[in-house]
Amino acid sequence: MSDAANKPAAAPGLGATLASIVNGCFGDYLSQRDNGLAIDMAFYRHNRPLSLTPEALRAAFPAPTARLCVLLHGLCCHEGAWDYPDNPARSYGSALQADLGFTPLFLRYNTGLPIPYNGKALDTLLEQLLAAYPLPVEELVLLGHSMGGLVLRGACHFGAERGAAWVGKVSRVFYIGTPHEGAALEQVGHLVNSILHAVPNPITHLLGDVANQRSQGIKDLRHGTVLDGAAGVAAVPWLAGAQHYMIAGTVTDDPEHLAAKLFGDGLVQPPQAGENVCLFPGIDHMQLAHDDAVYEQIKTWCAST
Amino acid sequence: MNPETLRQIRGAKDLLEEAIEALAVSVGDAHRKMARQPYALLARIEPIAAPVRAIEEAHLRITDGVYFSIRLGNRLVGVVAGFALDRIEGVARPK
Repeated sequence: MSDAANKPAAAPGLGATLASIVNGCFGDYLSQRDNGLAIDMAFYRHNRPLSLTPEALRAAFPAPTARLCVLLHGLCCHEGAWDYPDNPARSYGSALQADLGFTPLFLRYNTGLPIPYNGKALDTLLEQLLAAYPLPVEELVLLGHSMGGLVLRGACHFGAERGAAWVGKVSRVFYIGTPHEGAALEQVGHLVNSILHAVPNPITHLLGDVANQRSQGIKDLRHGTVLDGAAGVAAVPWLAGAQHYMIAGTVTDDPEHLAAKLFGDGLVQPPQAGENVCLFPGIDHMQLAHDDAVYEQIKTWCAST
Repeated sequence: MNPETLRQIRGAKDLLEEAIEALAVSVGDAHRKMARQPYALLARIEPIAAPVRAIEEAHLRITDGVYFSIRLGNRLVGVVAGFALDRIEGVARPK
């Protein structure tokens, strides 16, 4: 099947992009105020939320397969982040469908909400998906870009904790540019905010107050928080029974370059080298979500036993 | 116009209105604090303390009035925009 046949005809437009940015910046406030801009978590297809009923899923996927891949975007993004800029009909989802027979599902969610909240919501949504899917699901592959990886990790944790059936179907989890150890940019943002409040001047206090209005989702990126409360990401064990893969990039072609050491992929520092870790020098944070070399690695890992 | 688009426009209107309100209050507070600093210094000079306090009072009243006008104007624009959206929604709603 061609990529064009699998991808929504109506890609998210400027309105959806602006709404996603606003949600990323102030999503918790929007949700609290029941603002019409607040995004409700859902799988999106053709730029519309997918109803999780057997009829709707059968209509959306006329030729469903028993292998699903779920893709989660990062902060201030929507599912369009997975589209290749030079070929919007192609994404990791559509390519995995064409090459390995996965049925892709693209999630859209309010990235300004706390990461643990989104993790719990995803756990519930995946349960509903598997209950309504037209076929018994044999395999579930999860791909998370940036914050999406943390949400996935949270969902796996909450699902495993309550013994959700979908957790047992997860074979592989891909964390693409995910700040498991926290995002340096938010750490700097928090520091600047503290300094602005510490300086005894009404203007710096005002600037600090404005900066402090950023969403809880952004603040959670400081430590890569996946759980509620004081527990950090270190407290979350990796989902047993699934393979976990980390994909990272650097801003320079030379990963040993000072800029790569300082800025990582521009937003996130690469993880330490390891067995299921792959570094792509010269690929920045956003490009990690739509790059041929990255996809080839994902496909290789997905095809391996 | 579809209901989802209208819901988003209404949401953007509400967010903008709330942001202007919050910003006007915060900037007004900061303005007040900054404006009081030179007056506080001048008021220490006993012979001019009384007129300085009077000028300070007038200054702060004008400042508060300006920010109140901004907030009032913002509220009014919000009400009118909300009314216009209600009308559009009424027209767009299937009978």
